[in-house]
Amino acid sequence: MKLQVIYCNHQTARLDVRERLAFTSDDQLAEAYTQFRGSFPGSEAVVLSTCNRVELYTAQDDEGGAPGHVELAEFFSRFHGIPIEEFFGDLLTHNGPDAVRHLFRVCSSIDSMVLGEPQIVSQVKNAYRRSEENQACGPLTNALFQGAIRVSKRVRSETRLAEGRVSIASVAVGEFARGIFDRFDDKTVLVIGAGEMAEETLRYLQDDGVREVLVINRDPQRAEVLAREWGGSGYGMEQLHDLLGRADVVVSATGADQPIVDAEMFRRARKGNSDQPVFVLDLGAPRDISPDVAEIDDNVFLYDVDDLQATCERNRKLRSREIERALGIIDEESDRFMQEVYHRATGPIVKRLREQWLEVSEQELERLRTKLGHLEEEDMGQVEQTIQRIVNKLLHPPLETLRNEAREGTPHGLLEALRRLFHIHD
Amino acid sequence: MANVTVFCFLASYSVALVVELLRLQKQSPTRFLGGYAFAAAGFLAHTLFLWNQGRASELPPLLSSSRDWTLVLAWLVVGFYLFVITFDRQVSIGVFLLPLVLALVAASYFVVSTPNDALLTARHGWTMLHAASLAIGMAGVLAGIVLSLMYLLQHRRLRHKYSGADGLRLPSLERLSRINWWSVMVSVPLLTLGMGSGLVLKMIGSAESLSLADPVIVVNGISWLSLTGVFGWMLLTPRATGKQVAWRTLLACAFLLLTVVSLLVLPQIGLESGHGGVVLHDDCLICRGDTL
Repeated sequence: MKLQVIYCNHQTARLDVRERLAFTSDDQLAEAYTQFRGSFPGSEAVVLSTCNRVELYTAQDDEGGAPGHVELAEFFSRFHGIPIEEFFGDLLTHNGPDAVRHLFRVCSSIDSMVLGEPQIVSQVKNAYRRSEENQACGPLTNALFQGAIRVSKRVRSETRLAEGRVSIASVAVGEFARGIFDRFDDKTVLVIGAGEMAEETLRYLQDDGVREVLVINRDPQRAEVLAREWGGSGYGMEQLHDLLGRADVVVSATGADQPIVDAEMFRRARKGNSDQPVFVLDLGAPRDISPDVAEIDDNVFLYDVDDLQATCERNRKLRSREIERALGIIDEESDRFMQEVYHRATGPIVKRLREQWLEVSEQELERLRTKLGHLEEEDMGQVEQTIQRIVNKLLHPPLETLRNEAREGTPHGLLEALRRLFHIHD
Repeated sequence: MANVTVFCFLASYSVALVVELLRLQKQSPTRFLGGYAFAAAGFLAHTLFLWNQGRASELPPLLSSSRDWTLVLAWLVVGFYLFVITFDRQVSIGVFLLPLVLALVAASYFVVSTPNDALLTARHGWTMLHAASLAIGMAGVLAGIVLSLMYLLQHRRLRHKYSGADGLRLPSLERLSRINWWSVMVSVPLLTLGMGSGLVLKMIGSAESLSLADPVIVVNGISWLSLTGVFGWMLLTPRATGKQVAWRTLLACAFLLLTVVSLLVLPQIGLESGHGGVVLHDDCLICRGDTL
């Protein structure tokens, strides 16, 4: 069994690298899964692509046929049309228990830019769902992702990682927007995109007193629905230019694969308004706002997800004690998960062995019933129980040994020995 | 009580500044309370000192000597500092204000400390108006300098995506800009009133004619005009950016402060103008040097 992850994230790769490797739409992801299945038919796969990370989890029963680090990097290169040497150094890989531990850390938000942020759990769930829809996952990845979600719940309930300001949006609003504005009840907020991240941002902004909310989306109806929820107005993308000029706070979190606001557009929108500070938060990956928008004038304060890094590091330090506790839980759960995985690998042999022995005992019991027909039903029951106990006692030592061996890894040698000793066939 | 010296509150303010600097490293209730206690103790000693000085000269501290006037100015700044941190424990305003306070207290050693005999015969109403408006106006100028510096620093940090992990907690740009605007709006009319009342004092108190070519008058006039220029520009340009306001306020206020401090200190090193010393006129409290 081979379980591995190949990935780049906000700690290992710059935003521009992550942008190029990201899978930004469902269609792109579906195509990626199709190509992956074509290239590695025996392998399960789950892609986790968010603004902070691009990760590919693979699992395969047959270690020999599983793709390696380089083959997966070549897959990225082929799919995105990027020469491998341009990103190979930014990719990391983990195998076996380390891969499991990595996903558990990611899902528990230990690995997130903002420690304890809740969005990552739904992003992990969505990633698995997409894989399932594209028939790319299997029993191993299923167990892995179910385990990750279970561990994240445990971490959140047993530690204080999720307390306080934890999401990217809340840090951005709390640390940066409040550095610019004293109050928000007289500010106009423009939200571009109507996804989960946009909703999260709006919630924090409204907590800070924002009243006027404008929501823009490619689908105006979806914009309307979200805007109505927050007492604002929804618009289609064609209104972007006009609304940009009105906004004091711009939050963009779309899934666009290239910037939707460039410097020229922003300059024109701000014409006659350049004396007013504007806080622009680009939560998209790839970026929604061209970086040169920040150079238009001194009153444009543009931040993207990478800019939040320093603040997140500070949060991380403050919560280091909670991290220790969370890591303890993750280690414990990773070990347990791996034992289950190894144990699962012994399952078919154990099942066959037990079935074989029970079959023999059943045959012998049948003969006994024929020969000792005078026995009362109660006496025959006692005999059956005795034989059952004998079978169990005889099975116990080899199964116990197998279980102990499986704690350290799949006991291939022992399984082979059992197959040969007891003539067990798949 | 009678033994309180300048050194007492100078030392207290120095410790308060050190604690403020330590708070940049780590915010904690103990450090806040420590800094607050030292600043408040210094403020109390400062108040007692000025009280004693006033009683000794039988004049309000604002009028007793240039040294006391400088100390009253420092006292106003400390009062402002204590007021701010009472309501906002997080803000790092002490890092900016306390060095100014220490500079003013230290500068007081270099200015005239003897009471002015002329004031004993002068009209107290006019002299009090003159000294008080200049002192409060100058406190506004100092606030303008500090707020402009804080604005520019905060602006720089935000533009460079730096959120204050260094422990320096600054108010928002919007708040700094608003308070800065008011500091100029308040200080310029008060300074104008102080200078105008000084002229009135001169006219009613001396037969000597006032020379507009006097370098002291020229320097004072230019610095006042520059600040008044900023005042007018701010009134006429409501759409000015916060950064523009901060830079202009900083330059004009710093120029005025430099002028005033120079005029206070220069007489002590023997530099005099043809204006009866380095003074705007003989009765001007902040510029009269040793002629008071």
